[in-house]
Amino acid sequence: MTAGTRGAPPPATAAAAREGGQARPGTAGAAGPGAPGVLDRLTPARRAALRAECARLADLDDAEFGVRLLAATPTHEGRDPALLRRWAEAAAAFGVGLAADRGTHGPAARVVERDGGLEQLLLARYVSRPAPAVELFTDTLALGEELADLLGWRAWFPPGALRAAAVAHEEAHCLLHRDPALRRALRGRTGHTALRLGRFRIAGHVAGADELTAHGYAGARCGLGRSPLLLTAALASAAGALEEARGQD
Amino acid sequence: MGIVILLLMLVGVGLMLARKLPTAFALVLLAVAIAVVVGAPLTGENSIVDTVLQEGAVALAATMLAVLIGSWLGKLMEETGIAGTLVRKIVEFGGDRPTVVALGVLAVSALIGTVTGSAPAAMMAGIIGIPAMVAVGVPKTTAAGTILMGIAAGIPFELPVWQFFSTALDLPIDTVRGFMLRLFPFAAVFAILFVLVETRRRGVEHAWSLASMSERSAGGDRRRGRARQLGDAPWYALFAPAVPLVLALGFGLAIIPSMLAGVLYTLVTTTRPREMNKRLLRTLYAGFEVAAPPIALFVAIGILLAAVQLPGAVAALNPLVTALSPSHPVVFVLVFTLLTPLCLYRGPLNVYGLGAGIAGVLISAGVYPAVAVLGLTASYNQVFGVADPTSTQTVWAAQYSGVSPQQVMLRTLPYVWCVALGGLIVTAATQL
Repeated sequence: MTAGTRGAPPPATAAAAREGGQARPGTAGAAGPGAPGVLDRLTPARRAALRAECARLADLDDAEFGVRLLAATPTHEGRDPALLRRWAEAAAAFGVGLAADRGTHGPAARVVERDGGLEQLLLARYVSRPAPAVELFTDTLALGEELADLLGWRAWFPPGALRAAAVAHEEAHCLLHRDPALRRALRGRTGHTALRLGRFRIAGHVAGADELTAHGYAGARCGLGRSPLLLTAALASAAGALEEARGQD
Repeated sequence: MGIVILLLMLVGVGLMLARKLPTAFALVLLAVAIAVVVGAPLTGENSIVDTVLQEGAVALAATMLAVLIGSWLGKLMEETGIAGTLVRKIVEFGGDRPTVVALGVLAVSALIGTVTGSAPAAMMAGIIGIPAMVAVGVPKTTAAGTILMGIAAGIPFELPVWQFFSTALDLPIDTVRGFMLRLFPFAAVFAILFVLVETRRRGVEHAWSLASMSERSAGGDRRRGRARQLGDAPWYALFAPAVPLVLALGFGLAIIPSMLAGVLYTLVTTTRPREMNKRLLRTLYAGFEVAAPPIALFVAIGILLAAVQLPGAVAALNPLVTALSPSHPVVFVLVFTLLTPLCLYRGPLNVYGLGAGIAGVLISAGVYPAVAVLGLTASYNQVFGVADPTSTQTVWAAQYSGVSPQQVMLRTLPYVWCVALGGLIVTAATQL
């Protein structure tokens, strides 16, 4: 999990630029300060409520988002939150380590940009067939950029960093998908025991751990100030607000 | 007159397809209309009131009871966390290999499919199974299809289905069991092929989704919330779905006692003695709710079967059906394989609709032996149970996965069509 460095100066810009993550005009991240964006569809009162909601999210510890993600993942029903926290931290730390070790891994998948992410509540997707590809949903990325501006989170998520993080996140999935040893190592790191017979122990898979690894990887690769999951949670709130606004039209 | 009956059936299909009438109501109206046009008297022998409505309504009573007990057992397995535990264990053991997880969920679905069918079976396996598969990278349509193909692989051993075919086609349970044992390998092989081929063809899919962090996903979703309350069932309770099957298949015990034994085993292995009464009653009443739609359908099917078996209907339909039905085994297989899509969208060959009436006509007209009609309808049932975009289990699995029922139909149809072909070949080779 990316360390929570609230209010710290943004170390992300250089990394984001290195990843080719600068926003291109007309695509993700185009909504600069002052430019009309989708959040303008919200009433001033709803925007204020969204700001307050996101401020509450920002007050949470980064690891808490990992716990929430795992708790919402099937197979973890009723698990102790402390155990989920331990798994979340281990998986995210594995992602950070993987980012540091990036040079030894293969090339990333082809990047394709698409629209329609908000409708499906998707920011990015990795597909391994027919050819490995990372799909970036430009409307969601643009909303993320707009939201970072609105919330004053640019210190954590500089312009273009979200796109770079999305590419890096899916790159981590690609790496895990291609390398069984890496998956075994992740299983070992989370330390979940599926079965124990005397001295013999079978390590269990923690559903959702790969997602947290990918977020940890993305945060570290792009030098984000907070976990990408914070912006994901804020985006989910914003998407909900926009949906409400559409329903009232 | 035969043409008039066929036209009436066509109107019935139209009403069902256009959703002007629920299937059960359409079948009852169709039955009464057939009885009227063939000149059945209002009361007395072979009449509308006494034969079609009274005798027909309870003709499938044994099936209705089997469905009810199956739903009871299903509810019990759901409440005691047996289905969820099976899926959780599979993910823990094979979670970083999506194909292994999908195969495991397929096996659990098949096991559940032997106990109960339709949407409740899909929900039992899918509430945890579908998001678990998606979480390990199985694409959504493949995940939905895996649940449905799994349930369909269990259908040949679904005891209420044995009871249905036995009563509706007037065949001994042993005969039904014999055919189902021959049908099962096709259902199992193509279900496994579906998982292997589709996970290979479609690969894995991992999404950075906003839903994972939404308030809804954090605790608002009612169904997942319910799953969240469940703990792990003890390991010996996990054999519960197999108990009725072992007793009925291995020991030749009758269907209803076998299923009751399954209820008892599940209860004893999962519930403290002081909670047993409460849990039994609660799950029984919940089972009634689950079983209501199929029971309503079985009442209607019984009425339709009684109508098409009236002497007047048999006499009217006999020449027409005899002329239209292929008798050569190869032509039989070819024609009925090509007609397979007619069991979709509540079409005329849907065995839980008009298809039951057509099966009744084929038997009462003496066109095919009853066991051949069993082969025909059971083969179509494998298709309907998976690929029909209007069937409740397909709609539920697709929507829960976040895809359309039509996408699931397109993905699964080639496989279940092959299952139907297999069943029809077995039928033609052994019964014609």
